[in-house]
Amino acid sequence: MQTWDLGIEELKEKNSGENNLKTELLTVNMGPQHPATHGVLRVEIKTDSEVVAKAIPHLGYLHRCMEKHSENLDYRGVIPFVDRLDYLASMSQEYSYVAAVEKMLGTEVPRRAQLLRMLILELQRIASHLMAFGTYALDLGAFSPFLYAFDEREKILRFFEEISGARLLYNYIWIGGVWNDITDKHVETLKEFLDNFEKELVKYDNLVSGNKIFLERVINVGNLSLEDAISYGATGPVLRGSGYAWDLRKVDPYLCYNEVEFDVPVATGERGSVVGDCYSRYIVRMKEMEESVKICRQVLDKLEDGPVMGKVSKVIKPAKGEVFVRTECPRGELGVHLVSDGTKKPYRVKIKSPCFTHVSILPHFAPGQMIADFVASIGSIDIVLGEVDR
Amino acid sequence: MTTKAEPLTLRKYFYNIYYAVSTCLKGMGITFKYIIAKKPVTIEYPEVREVVPEKARMRLYNDVLNCIACNQCATACPVDCIYISSINRPKDLETPKTEDGTAKRKILTQYTIDTALCCYCGLCTTVCPTECLTHSHDYEFAQYTVTEMKYNYMDDDIIAWRDRIVKTR
Repeated sequence: MQTWDLGIEELKEKNSGENNLKTELLTVNMGPQHPATHGVLRVEIKTDSEVVAKAIPHLGYLHRCMEKHSENLDYRGVIPFVDRLDYLASMSQEYSYVAAVEKMLGTEVPRRAQLLRMLILELQRIASHLMAFGTYALDLGAFSPFLYAFDEREKILRFFEEISGARLLYNYIWIGGVWNDITDKHVETLKEFLDNFEKELVKYDNLVSGNKIFLERVINVGNLSLEDAISYGATGPVLRGSGYAWDLRKVDPYLCYNEVEFDVPVATGERGSVVGDCYSRYIVRMKEMEESVKICRQVLDKLEDGPVMGKVSKVIKPAKGEVFVRTECPRGELGVHLVSDGTKKPYRVKIKSPCFTHVSILPHFAPGQMIADFVASIGSIDIVLGEVDR
Repeated sequence: MTTKAEPLTLRKYFYNIYYAVSTCLKGMGITFKYIIAKKPVTIEYPEVREVVPEKARMRLYNDVLNCIACNQCATACPVDCIYISSINRPKDLETPKTEDGTAKRKILTQYTIDTALCCYCGLCTTVCPTECLTHSHDYEFAQYTVTEMKYNYMDDDIIAWRDRIVKTR
């Protein structure tokens, strides 16, 4: 048995005794500038040779006072700031905030705008998961999947650029509807993209998901049981990867999600994996992309002519009160708690971010893991630091 | 998470080798296809330029000849990067009109945008009543100092951009 097969307790036992050298834990700072931490996360890890004994995540390197700053802006002006939370899935963040304001105002959104929003959200989910897939493969040492994923992601970003004007921070979903309408030409391009994308998914499956080297790296690594997942407050692919079919689009449908047919992918432990390990979380994301393609197809068929902006007054002044809205973002449940005091500016904008919750799971993964496995664990929960720190 | 591995039989040993080699070859095949069939997507930038979409939001341009100094853009701006000052036009002077016929009741004395602060959200262009403030398609405006990013749109050399970049209406 090799040293790296031992747990931390066994190692201590082996190293203790009169004849052995006295050992102590070594503190290593992983990050804030580290390619494997997906941004500016600093994880203080205490290591015993290659084995991690303890990991403490330190936050705040990307804190931009977004919540406080929102209190000095009017309701429309907050949208560009909400974009910057999760910069890989800006549309989802925008929708969550806009949905909260609309709930407060009681605005009716035209049907075409609702369908467009659904289309955009699902495309954004694909783009975000492609990024997660690419960087996860990159974390584990495979470079080419990253490039292939970006090739497809680029097509989605190009579509977003054509309809909204920006590639990353869109400001596209507005209070009452969406900014611009899409044309028939866009619908054609999207259908072509979706047809092509299904073939790409099969390719990714052959390239990465079935690869023995990849499987050895992710199976039975970073296990998170269902009880732990629930007690840590995990949502989204992390919770579904632990084997619980909880998806707000099914459980508490918003927009027109109750009109479309799709499944909620849950980890079942295929290819020799254990439910709740890194592979489960990874494969849930890959399957979610297939479901998103299905939803996009149905939405494109349902699209009907009509306005894309509802009636909203020029100055937005909601009545006194507070609302809470939660939506299923690519990384989990995003909650927006909005308090209004009856003026033009929000009294409080509180964002409950899924990534923040997921960072708290890292110390649970760490004990007894190899450092390289810990990198795999960080990648599998797919965090974006813009959303963690806000 | 180290767990006890299942006992390794001879059959399983060879199956593992077969599985590893076959899946790796499958992956190599895909990569090989990319080498042969995939055309390069990289653009040699300064020589070849990508056509930006029509709605692309790049550097702001204000056509001061059509600006009525209504201050709506500065109010809408979430980062407060637009500085406007104006004076009321004396009553004995004739009120000129913009291209779309709106009366210019104020005399614009300063219209400055700090492009370094601008977040390119597009909120200011949507509220503009005369549509004189637009996002141009200029994306190459790097400067050596931050102060050079402050554009005063009343300057003659910046007014001269008009012929070059104003979008056709």
